[in-house]
Amino acid sequence: MATTTATLILTSPDITGHSFNMTQSATLTKAGSSTGLDEFTGVTSRKYTSAQTDTVVVADSIYVDTTVAHKVYIRNTSTGASDYILVELEGNVIIGRLYPGDWMFIPYGGTLDVQVTTVATNVSIEYGVFSQSVVS
Amino acid sequence: MATTTATINLTSPDITGDPLNLSKTATLTKAGSNTGLDQFTGITTVVYAAAQTATNIVAAAAYADTTTAHKVYIKNSSTGTSDFVTVELGGSNVFMGRLYPGDWCFFPYDGTLDVDIDTSAVGMKVEYAVFSQSAAS
Repeated sequence: MATTTATLILTSPDITGHSFNMTQSATLTKAGSSTGLDEFTGVTSRKYTSAQTDTVVVADSIYVDTTVAHKVYIRNTSTGASDYILVELEGNVIIGRLYPGDWMFIPYGGTLDVQVTTVATNVSIEYGVFSQSVVS
Repeated sequence: MATTTATINLTSPDITGDPLNLSKTATLTKAGSNTGLDQFTGITTVVYAAAQTATNIVAAAAYADTTTAHKVYIKNSSTGTSDFVTVELGGSNVFMGRLYPGDWCFFPYDGTLDVDIDTSAVGMKVEYAVFSQSAAS
């Protein structure tokens, strides 16, 4: 099985009274298992020529659900400062806004679509899903 | 204003036919601005003696909402492979996903919905934090 590692590095010299540095690494495994996630969509890059409303970037119907350890990565690859991507779970459940350069990495239960809404033209995005097959 | 960066590295020698090496760094700024986020909760670490259901870890009431670029970090710091943390959004506890031991997540937060967690076992250790923007410009 595949070995995939996700590492988060958070640093700031001045957001608190002392410097802050944190690194966390996770080996991406199937739910309740030491076996690595075995599926990956690749990183999809899109440039939306028009503003989007509830555009599905991750469709729940494609994935097994609930007892899963899927992961979703999304990044706003636009430039500037203002053209955000609103990320929601199906049913207009707002996760938050990704401003240009921002990225997110979340666990995904496979029960709801992941959707994006944009307010400007030519907003660029990239996204990918690491997931587990039903094969043990 | 503060300068905070968040870097993600995604690597795999074998999940595709070619090695995956993705590294992206974001400088955390206020919504629509080049000004850095200026508030941080610090990293909270909690060991829950009992399994939790819809335990609030990020309260929407504590943050400015909508036009914001807050960020939430959560990690299941438990050991083993089976004891998971369920991440949920809002009063209806909408299911986002499960964090298995060692898993972390980092996502934007607009301050309109609470972030709650369930834990599947006793004695689980969770850490979490919020980087946020004040109402000050």
